[in-house]
Amino acid sequence: MSAVIRAESLTKFYGTSRGVVDLGFEVEAGEVFGFLGPNGAGKTTTIRLMLDLIRPSSGKLELFGLDAQRDSVAIRRRIGYLPGDLHLYERLTPREFLRYFAALRGLDGLGEGEQLAERFELELDRPIKALSKGNRQKVGLVQAFLHRPDLLLLDEPTAGLDPLVQISFNELLREVAADGRTVFLSSHILSEVQRLADRVAIIREGSLELVEAVDTLRARAFVRVEATFAKPPPEKAFAELAGVRELERRGPVVVLALEGSADPLIKALARHEVLALDSHEADLEDFFLALYRNGAGGAL
Amino acid sequence: MLSSVFAKTLRERLRAFRWWCLGTVGFVTLYGSVYPSIHGLKVLNDLVKNYPQALKGFVGFGGNLDIASGAGYLGTEVFSFWGPIVLAAVAIAAGSGAIAGEEERGTLDLLLSLPLSRTRCLLEKLAALVCETLALAFVLWILLVIVSYSVGMGVSAGHLGAAVLVLLLFALGFGVLALAIGAATGRKALAIGLSATLAVAADVINALAPLASWLDRVKLISPFYYYTHGDPLRNGLDVSDLLVLLAIVVVFATVAPFLFRRRDLTTV
Repeated sequence: MSAVIRAESLTKFYGTSRGVVDLGFEVEAGEVFGFLGPNGAGKTTTIRLMLDLIRPSSGKLELFGLDAQRDSVAIRRRIGYLPGDLHLYERLTPREFLRYFAALRGLDGLGEGEQLAERFELELDRPIKALSKGNRQKVGLVQAFLHRPDLLLLDEPTAGLDPLVQISFNELLREVAADGRTVFLSSHILSEVQRLADRVAIIREGSLELVEAVDTLRARAFVRVEATFAKPPPEKAFAELAGVRELERRGPVVVLALEGSADPLIKALARHEVLALDSHEADLEDFFLALYRNGAGGAL
Repeated sequence: MLSSVFAKTLRERLRAFRWWCLGTVGFVTLYGSVYPSIHGLKVLNDLVKNYPQALKGFVGFGGNLDIASGAGYLGTEVFSFWGPIVLAAVAIAAGSGAIAGEEERGTLDLLLSLPLSRTRCLLEKLAALVCETLALAFVLWILLVIVSYSVGMGVSAGHLGAAVLVLLLFALGFGVLALAIGAATGRKALAIGLSATLAVAADVINALAPLASWLDRVKLISPFYYYTHGDPLRNGLDVSDLLVLLAIVVVFATVAPFLFRRRDLTTV
């Protein structure tokens, strides 16, 4: 079976400034593929290349086995797209907007838009300019799904959605995947991608850092512990402990990565005067910190 | 209702279009109501005859300054001044908004994520631009016919139609140029500024041509020359002028999709 998306040495420069460099990955049919990276890493560039809104500097990009540039119209027929920076026709109502987009896709009425709007509790008849950010985002989501596309390109889809709507959105994504359709989901939030995706690619400064199954990534998960001491502890104070690595040190502040039991660390900390202690599940930044502290693919 | 990019674009323009129509009604009525009081005033013609050459170039239409006659009056008041400004403004506004306007508002990314080629998108917007300008030209023509007959200007509907037709093509040239600049760059202000400047330059070059012999050749590149020199209000349609103005529109309309297809779209 051929991949739904295949990128090979895909590179995009805007003049001299970097978009993405030498990307290579494949997305299979029916998977939710997370595309994870901080803002400015090249996520939106990658998605806009897939839609032929911009052209690659070099390399190859295929969707459904077709060339992203030459066969763009045929490809776009099968894609639903939610931009990260969503702009809508302010003077229209969501109903007019969705009917317009459905018509341009050759569908009667709103396509699946009516049911989706109901599901997301989107008011269809107030002008878009009067809608809140969350409601605009719903309009964006509904237009992306209304033609039952084979591939969804979702750029930061949950931005602005309230938690209840996020739950409906998560359900919708699972249904789409169960249906054998494919989702390419960009995000800068590690936990979101872990929750929704089957596989994840991590992009940083335009280059792919790693592509792997979310389960593998989850096995690398750790807790970030940040301790502030009365006076800086000795260099090797925590390095020898089981399941503990030191990530960062700024004077009296020490940031540690913890896997497994917290007990050895707590006992070690107790030997020093601790002024403050903060701990939470590692986010993407912590993850990068760990990644580069140890070298890519190191004993993370 | 909103079943195509063409229909959507027309609907967007409708709001402003109503005001342009209202303004056209007002101005043509005003010009018509003033005409009876200057008609036959030979003293006015004598006065104008003594204008410096430079000034005559700006106010004359077809090189004839007999403003006490119907054709001369309309040529000076409507066709060499107010008409080109209004029709070119409408065409340039529509042309610059077509691609660049939508790109700057940020909606073009979403529109072109649909199964719609860039060429198709541009051509539908071009068709809307032509329809809008044509509709205003038609309104202008009807009003002029009514005014000409009711105050006895003695200019036939056919001659008025010929003058409005070359005016329409003159305006479309700059409207389609604005569309092409917008499609090539995504910058609305540049599209408006450059095409409006060129429209004014076309008038100035043509008007100053009688003053300097070297401008006599330069004026041949000015669309304004082809717009005015056949004097359609008196002589009816000059087909060669019409073809030159039409060619300008066709050239820009052909180049625009080519420029639009080959570039990266910008984000807001």
